[in-house]
Amino acid sequence: MSIDIFEDEDEVTFLAATNVDKPEHSAVDISTKAFWAKPSEEREQIFKVLRETDPVSWQRPVEDAVTPDPDDPGYWALTKHADIAQVSRDHETFISGQGVLFDMLPPIFLEMSQSFLAMDPPRHDKLRALVSAAFTPKQIKRIEDKVLVAAKETVDAIAAKGSVEFVSECAEVLPVRMFCELFGVPDHLRAQTAAAAADVVAWADPEILGERSADEVQVEACSILHEIAEEMIEARRANPTDDLFTSLMNAEVDGQRLDDFEIGAFFILMAVAGTDTTKHTTSLTVKAMTEFPEQRAWLMEDFEGRIGPAIDEFIRFASPVMTFRRTAVKETELGGRKILPGDKVVMFYPSANQDADVFEAPETFDLSRQVNPHMGFGGGGIHFCLGNQLAKSMLRAMFRELLTRIPDFAAGEPELLGTNFMRGVKRMPVTFTPETS
Amino acid sequence: MRLEIDYSRCTGLGICEAEAPDLFEIQEDGSLSLLVERPTADSRAAAQAAVAGCPTEAIRIVED
Repeated sequence: MSIDIFEDEDEVTFLAATNVDKPEHSAVDISTKAFWAKPSEEREQIFKVLRETDPVSWQRPVEDAVTPDPDDPGYWALTKHADIAQVSRDHETFISGQGVLFDMLPPIFLEMSQSFLAMDPPRHDKLRALVSAAFTPKQIKRIEDKVLVAAKETVDAIAAKGSVEFVSECAEVLPVRMFCELFGVPDHLRAQTAAAAADVVAWADPEILGERSADEVQVEACSILHEIAEEMIEARRANPTDDLFTSLMNAEVDGQRLDDFEIGAFFILMAVAGTDTTKHTTSLTVKAMTEFPEQRAWLMEDFEGRIGPAIDEFIRFASPVMTFRRTAVKETELGGRKILPGDKVVMFYPSANQDADVFEAPETFDLSRQVNPHMGFGGGGIHFCLGNQLAKSMLRAMFRELLTRIPDFAAGEPELLGTNFMRGVKRMPVTFTPETS
Repeated sequence: MRLEIDYSRCTGLGICEAEAPDLFEIQEDGSLSLLVERPTADSRAAAQAAVAGCPTEAIRIVED
């Protein structure tokens, strides 16, 4: 595996975290397993305390890390919207190249799955540019018809049933299908791709792990996705196709093509980012609409006129991606705290999305919200979610179908994913009056 | 009102085009074209939405 390609002269030397000039670990501890096992409403009560009393708190290392580091002194926890925006937009001070996940994960997993997510300029920009032209407004408009057909067919399959397991029968179907179409994943590999992509982000969920260890599950899921990528590469060497995958294979960065391993890592990043986030936002929004029926009714009074801003509220309220990390490489200040080179800073997006300095009545699901600079796609800067417009296009199409065809849908109790990365729903019963054709 | 783009910050994401398609356009090669350098007052709200929406703060409205 030629990972050497990443080691050019622009790479910074690894900066170890230090204990120098650090306060006591915060008494409001958000590193415990118990904290991440709580429902998000209870976590929010604790984030609120931090936002109000200790917005940039020094925390002990995450409990039960997948691969604990005994020398890890801890991290700065960012809970305010403004601080997360500052860090996200200053990629020269806060880098991604020393890892972006809150949990400590095995290096092999990170190499297999992170691609440009965990890189800095200039390499980051060059790799991201290979696909970014496929996600511009015009390109998304061009595939809109496909999204509409896929959303319609997804709801066709459930509308007469009256009762479904919503996540597997609806929420995940549309994003998985669109990802597979964009990247040209053949039909016989789609189910396997979706299952492995879901496993990649489920590393701390006890049910999904079963008897296996977290790194076993992750590395296995990544290996499956690399094998799928290999198979797709082989197929395209014989018969090039008109999809993003073939353009990745043909693209050159600094005069060199990506090798198979790099293509595989890129594929994993896209598979996870493109499927799980939208799937969980869909489920969590169905739940929110069940709890706030007046919001659903208000949206339905003028769906086409109101859905645009409403989607931003779906995303703010769901906040499916909960954490990302950066590492400081210069001394700086954040919320009055001195940050030293090597310090880890972790951004808690659901907390930013409940920040009362930015959002009026943040606890309310308010589809008429006018000012909504939520951080569901990140806090801005060069790593801002590439697929944001595709995600919005899918949510719009899906909720148009659901709200016009089975408008009285009601969600039961969701079974939540137990991780500190993704706020997700594993299963959720949904009932409705069956559509009569 | 005049629009200024800092091309060194632009990543070609196209949120500006989604907010103000009459003012901004991402080209096939991923680069941004400013369609109107001096928008009329009618386009002010759209231009402001583009400035606010840009995650890399690459767009500026200059009043002159």
